[in-house]
Amino acid sequence: MLDRLDISLRANHVLFVILFTAAFVFGVMASMTGDRFYLRLATEALILSGLALSIDILLGFTGLLSLGQALFFGVGAYVSALVLREVPSFWLALGAASGASLVAGVVGGLIANRVRGVYFALITFGMAQIVAKIIYNTRSLGASDGLIGIPVVEIPLGFVTLSAGNPLEFFLVVLGGITLIYAGMSYVLSSPFGRVMIALKANEKRVPYLGYSTWAPRMVAYVLAAVIAGTVGGLYPMLRGFVSPELMFFSASGDALIMVIIGGSGTLVGAIWGAILLVAFKSVVGSWTEHHLIIVGLMFMAAVLFMKRGLIGLVKPMIERRLVRIEAAREMRKEGKAP
Amino acid sequence: MTPALETRGLSIAFGGLKAVDAVSFSATRNKITTVIGPNGAGKTTLFNLISGGLRPASGTVMLDGRNVTGFGPAALQGSGLARSFQITNLFFELTVRENLGLAAQTLDPVINAFFPVGRRGRAADKVDELIERFGFAAKAHELVAALSHGEQRRLEIAMCLASEPQILMLDEPTQGMSHGDTEETARLIRSLSTEVTVLLIEHDIGLVMSLSDHVVVMHQGRKLSEGAPAEVRSDPAVQAAYFGHG
Ligand SMILES: Nc1ncnc2c1ncn2[C@@H]1O[C@H](COP(=O)(O)OP(=O)(O)OP(=O)(O)O)[C@@H](O)[C@H]1O
Ligand SMILES: [Mg+2]
Repeated sequence: MLDRLDISLRANHVLFVILFTAAFVFGVMASMTGDRFYLRLATEALILSGLALSIDILLGFTGLLSLGQALFFGVGAYVSALVLREVPSFWLALGAASGASLVAGVVGGLIANRVRGVYFALITFGMAQIVAKIIYNTRSLGASDGLIGIPVVEIPLGFVTLSAGNPLEFFLVVLGGITLIYAGMSYVLSSPFGRVMIALKANEKRVPYLGYSTWAPRMVAYVLAAVIAGTVGGLYPMLRGFVSPELMFFSASGDALIMVIIGGSGTLVGAIWGAILLVAFKSVVGSWTEHHLIIVGLMFMAAVLFMKRGLIGLVKPMIERRLVRIEAAREMRKEGKAP
Repeated sequence: MTPALETRGLSIAFGGLKAVDAVSFSATRNKITTVIGPNGAGKTTLFNLISGGLRPASGTVMLDGRNVTGFGPAALQGSGLARSFQITNLFFELTVRENLGLAAQTLDPVINAFFPVGRRGRAADKVDELIERFGFAAKAHELVAALSHGEQRRLEIAMCLASEPQILMLDEPTQGMSHGDTEETARLIRSLSTEVTVLLIEHDIGLVMSLSDHVVVMHQGRKLSEGAPAEVRSDPAVQAAYFGHG
């Protein structure tokens, strides 16, 4: 029979397929009704879901609480914006965003991974605040106003060229990107290396006695998370046409953390559901009342207190049980056929 | 013949307390060497010094005649040393199979680390073998947290064997086990000594006498005595430490 961890990953896939299908149908329908606003809002939610997913890699699998993940999102966003203002090339901007966040992730990881637990959380928080403040005070980076005037880019995909200016096209591009990120991370987690990451969260003290470095997998997880956050950050200016220091502020990191907790940490897909939910919720409730943050806060508390595994936790056990049954039946058939 | 494991003048202090004080001993290949001593004698601390959990203030640790002093736990594991813990130290939120898989996957080539966890290969075979040998077949997919204390203690031992070590260090493996489980574990340890060098910490004197080839007695951080089980038992100094005022 499959390991529980494999069953868990498969259950995530089921929830991802549902999400993907729903998003696709939503996108096509919204575009048919001529909507721009909700498509662009959904695109933003998907971009932020990449940031949330990167937090989940650390929190939900490796057991590291990052309070400053928006740092890497911001690095990606600024680098992408700077590139786009010079050369409006989608791939160049995205590549530069990934590369810059890789470098930032290595540097940040070397600093943050010297400590553990609360200190790790505080250092990640501090690093993001420092960089945000520096950018906030740097005239050449637009200071508090940020960078504006980012041109609309074409997205050459080889067989077809899409435009970031077309709401449906860009929505689909981002949906494709998130799918790749989700699939890639699921793959990593299904490997023995991923198992060591998971072991770090389960019981870090035992890991070295099994012959594994604890530093290296923590570092790899941190850099992977940074690159993912930076890459989706690189998409942000293509959507909004501007970047601002707020992208790196704690409110951005904190929101992404809330997405993970509400959606369900340690599932990857929970982060994406959480992001969509939070963005939708903020937009809908935000139009009724200015006090929507109070409600978000209450939701967060409720999730922490009553749904330890988030919204995903409400349905995932059911899916897992079914997958176990399917797997058992498959094995029975196989054994039946064997001579 | 070089001993499988040897310490020379191994020492560490916590504040003013000399937890391990100039301890020298050696463990012969494929024999069972048992460390005994009253509570707080420094047995676990000695294990920590040998297995890389603590760095000795002075003294050396040799594996197969090679100086490995100051090596971390991961490097020592790579040198063929595996240890269990007095206080059960497992991945409680993972299953029995996943725990064993983690311990065994170092058997596979490093490149495999980046392909999905396999059903085939040396690691997978090892896991199957251990599940069979330790009677976990019915519980292979149970979370470790849901196992009984005795089962968790047995898994502690199985985890150590998963990497096919040359030296196996067991810190009170039968601690808290039922009588039946203790007997079975003793049988298991005896059977192991044909394949590995065993270093054991054990409180049950009956078990120590029947299992050990060699006994090292510790008391207040120092090595008080050593020798064959019967010799040690009749040593007046040992009797004073155990039964006297200490
Ligand atoms: N990390 C530590 N910091 C401070 N003191 C310690 C530490 N580890 C052990 N000690 C002290 O060192 C002494 C030896 O402890 P150790 O755990 O090695 O004893 P032991 O022989 O294993 O005892 P037991 O039979 O109870 O397991 C004890 O007095 C203990 O309190
Ligand atoms: Mg002890």
